[in-house]
Amino acid sequence: MRDSAFMDTNLIWLIAIALEAAILFRGLRTGLQKRYLLFYCYIGCLLLIEVLRFLCLSLTPNLYSAFYWQTELVRIVASYAVIFEIFKRVLRHNPGVARIAQDLLLVVFVVALTYAASDLLHGGFTSVPRATADLGRYLLYVESAVLLVMLWLFGRYRISFGGNLLGLTLGYSLLVALDVVNLAFLSTPGNESSIGLRKLIPITHLITFIIWCASLWSSQPELLPPAESAIDRDYALLAAKTRAALAHMSTRVGRTLGP
Amino acid sequence: MSGLIPIVLLGTLILIFSGRLLAQWSRQSHTRDVTIEDYSQARAALDSVFAETAAIKRIFASEDMEFISQAGTSDVQRFFLKERKRLSIQWVRLTQKQVAHLMDLHLKLASYTYEPSPKSEGKLTVNYLCFILASNGALVLLWLFGPFKAVRIVAYTVRAAEYFCSEFSLRLERTDPVKLSSARQLRSV
Repeated sequence: MRDSAFMDTNLIWLIAIALEAAILFRGLRTGLQKRYLLFYCYIGCLLLIEVLRFLCLSLTPNLYSAFYWQTELVRIVASYAVIFEIFKRVLRHNPGVARIAQDLLLVVFVVALTYAASDLLHGGFTSVPRATADLGRYLLYVESAVLLVMLWLFGRYRISFGGNLLGLTLGYSLLVALDVVNLAFLSTPGNESSIGLRKLIPITHLITFIIWCASLWSSQPELLPPAESAIDRDYALLAAKTRAALAHMSTRVGRTLGP
Repeated sequence: MSGLIPIVLLGTLILIFSGRLLAQWSRQSHTRDVTIEDYSQARAALDSVFAETAAIKRIFASEDMEFISQAGTSDVQRFFLKERKRLSIQWVRLTQKQVAHLMDLHLKLASYTYEPSPKSEGKLTVNYLCFILASNGALVLLWLFGPFKAVRIVAYTVRAAEYFCSEFSLRLERTDPVKLSSARQLRSV
């Protein structure tokens, strides 16, 4: 029974490594690695971590737990590169939203970081692996808060996405959303060694790699902004027009329904 | 365990917003880019909802109902009420749709501008939310009571709000600022 569980884990692991290698290979073939350089660096980093973990488990299994949490921390820090890549690529034709997003994300980052740091300090220091795991978890909380605000802004301003960028963003969102919930459950007392929860992490990663592999398999054309003559860059004028239209509409509805 | 709730909420919201992004993308692949022309057309379309003001006012006219209740049979009355209810709900929904479209285009165009003002955006959002709330309230009233009673309720609410506003401003006018400042001085002594 234990052997079959071990084999399952190994199989998932090997598939994940194969998928990461495939994403990297296709990135090089299609030239997407130039467009999404930070993302491909992250995938390279992941591949290296997975191989090292695999070697560690095979050669020195008693060191694996500590090694896992240390590499997990590196993985979470490296994943900030993906969020930066998404922000940079998605908003490059939308300077207005980029400006608002920059300020908003900075505020969210500082607030979430302060909250996480105070929680981490109050938790007390028990051991190096535990502290590393906690630090990784809190960094993931901060990352997910930033990602949430970014997704909200993309939705609110109806930002256009190309196929590649959409796949990258959706895969990353799935990864962060499920990771953050999973790690939160794992950190609650009594759940630290839950096999079910531990198994869920590699499966989530596997699904994300499949999404990335499918959406980044070929290079799709990027969306171009509308011609300069077709848009108005003056925000004050646009806001005044919309405000006037809403006020005009309210008056007329009031006149129709009112006394 | 209660500490888990915000984290689970955070994860769920990320998944919901991702789904919204996917839905938005599938719609976007059928449409072209938004231009200032589209925006002008949307404003004109919103204006056109009110083009036949007299006809719209007629939907809510209580004189018609009075006439039908005097002259028509109960079947005719029921049919008339049903028709007017359908028309009034359709009109509110059309207005909602046009306003939503205009806001959509505004947001899309605002993202292209160099310096959008978060304050103005916030105010517009509040205005839009108020509109959604009020129009949905109107829809519920129309659906529950029909156009004639609903208009009476809306008229009553507007009149009550006007009364409270005028009372409040009168009270403010009657307040003597000199007395207020002397009272403040006394308290500080």
